[in-house]
Amino acid sequence: MTLSLAIPSKGRLKEKAVALFDAAGFTLQLPEDARSYQGSLSGLSNGSAVDILFLSASEIARELVSGSVHAGITGEDLARETTPNADEHLEFSLKLGFGHADVVIAVPNAWYDVNTMADLDDIAAEFRSRHGRRLRIATKYWNLTQGHFADHGIALYRIVESLGATEAAPAAGQADAIVDITSTGSTLRANGLKILSDGVILKSEANLMTSRNADFDASQQESMLEICDALGQVVSKA
Amino acid sequence: MTLSTITKHLQTIGCVFPDIALLQPADPFLDTTGEDLRRRIFITQENSGALLCLRPEFTVPVCVAHLRNGNGSARYGYGGSVFRQRDDDSSEFVQAGFEDFGEADKNAADINCVKTALDVLQAVGASSSMLVLGNQSIFLDLLQALDVPAAWRKKLIRSFGDPTRLAETLALISSNEEDQVELPSKILSALKSSDGAQLTEELQRLMREDGLPLSAGRTPSAIAERLMEQHQLQSIRLGEEKREVLETYLKLEGPLERAAEALADFAERSGIDLASGVSTLEALIEGVSDLSPDARFKANFGRRLDYYTGLVFEIYRDGLEKPLIGGGRYDRLLTLLGAEKEIPAVGFAIWVDRLEVNA
Repeated sequence: MTLSLAIPSKGRLKEKAVALFDAAGFTLQLPEDARSYQGSLSGLSNGSAVDILFLSASEIARELVSGSVHAGITGEDLARETTPNADEHLEFSLKLGFGHADVVIAVPNAWYDVNTMADLDDIAAEFRSRHGRRLRIATKYWNLTQGHFADHGIALYRIVESLGATEAAPAAGQADAIVDITSTGSTLRANGLKILSDGVILKSEANLMTSRNADFDASQQESMLEICDALGQVVSKA
Repeated sequence: MTLSTITKHLQTIGCVFPDIALLQPADPFLDTTGEDLRRRIFITQENSGALLCLRPEFTVPVCVAHLRNGNGSARYGYGGSVFRQRDDDSSEFVQAGFEDFGEADKNAADINCVKTALDVLQAVGASSSMLVLGNQSIFLDLLQALDVPAAWRKKLIRSFGDPTRLAETLALISSNEEDQVELPSKILSALKSSDGAQLTEELQRLMREDGLPLSAGRTPSAIAERLMEQHQLQSIRLGEEKREVLETYLKLEGPLERAAEALADFAERSGIDLASGVSTLEALIEGVSDLSPDARFKANFGRRLDYYTGLVFEIYRDGLEKPLIGGGRYDRLLTLLGAEKEIPAVGFAIWVDRLEVNA
């Protein structure tokens, strides 16, 4: 059987992933038909081909968890957000050095009294009695937010689901603070927000991930190791 | 069988059983317990977008029912299936319980509540069991007697019931490490001169500059107030002596029978007045120690939910790690759910499934 590997179907993550396989000396055959989502990878020393599936970045983790693909490339943030207890289902085999994004907690600049999660805990505890409602956090990262807040013992807040332009939620009066991804912090700054000193939930980048729930036969295992090695060499030189 | 014995007993002592639907609005639960609860319950959505959940417990809906029927004093009972996400156990299980709302004599209501719990266990024939009690309000009295600043008191009370977190909080307010946070010069000068009005004005200006609404969330004056509070706290630390007193208190643990005496000794050695805590414990001893000879008092026992205010208790059966009954006083819960003024509330829940295991 052939090894199956999922990579993002569009955007910079796709471009970078394709370039990476190229740099590692493999030949990536893109789908002939623009509507098809299947390609293949050749150039492995054992002569096997690898099925390449072009999927949306957020779907890749789900396919890995179900075990229907062997490996994939996607952002660690998406994988951890969509997979409770991610490490039980996924092996984060290799950090790929692109797609950097930190998942952070940001609060309004004007909250000069709030710089740490402990400060946020103080605010959250009194929010209801002072403002008649719980502290609201806008995010699309439900699981990462709940996990990080629980680690800091903060329970008294509500999540407001945000599907886009999360950073604008405080200015729009929809939320008090946000959990979102940032790479340079400039979008946050432009929206009058600052990151809490212990508010980095996850330093994410694109990863080569291996499914712990898929079955590997000997040749698939061999192919997987070779890909991991070859990509690793490119990444470590970069 | 066990459930019907329990409900019959509660009915006999005059408890009202309100109708509590299986499918409940989720917001009252999420609002009182917080977002973290979402991971532990079963949530679904109506076409209108309203969040519903499978009943995760009874106390909140009983409170809501109480508020709907006016809000005098009343005793309630309940029993039925509840649903929670559990990895190690079935997600549907049976709970029964008792709630006593509006009784002004809190000590008497506390004692009655513990007695009722012990009586229920006797009615179902689970007699050999151990009672563990704690009381957050004694800790609060202690903090007041030690003159701990209000902001720290709140922090400590929030950590109460979780020994690790409480130790962390104690370390935080005792440490000499100062967090140096850079502040704009105008904010700093207003802080140094304790000029609240100027501080508020400057914050208002900065918030406007950032395009933040001035009234949708934390207002400039709320931020100014906490900034000033934090600024004052920066120059003081919880002294070694007070920390030791707190740590000694938190280690108090022993037979309930001797708890009042132990607390009085501790107060005397520490040179503070805890008379009201001592008399609370004396009343409790008189009321329940005959019924439960193995009862223990644990000074650091509490629940980290902000609506719990005083007594907490659990009843264990020998050899079982998890309690058969958990209860306590939650005087802040009904106001969180919309009561205009505080309504005293005390009650307990029974894990009926655990009663049936090895019964």
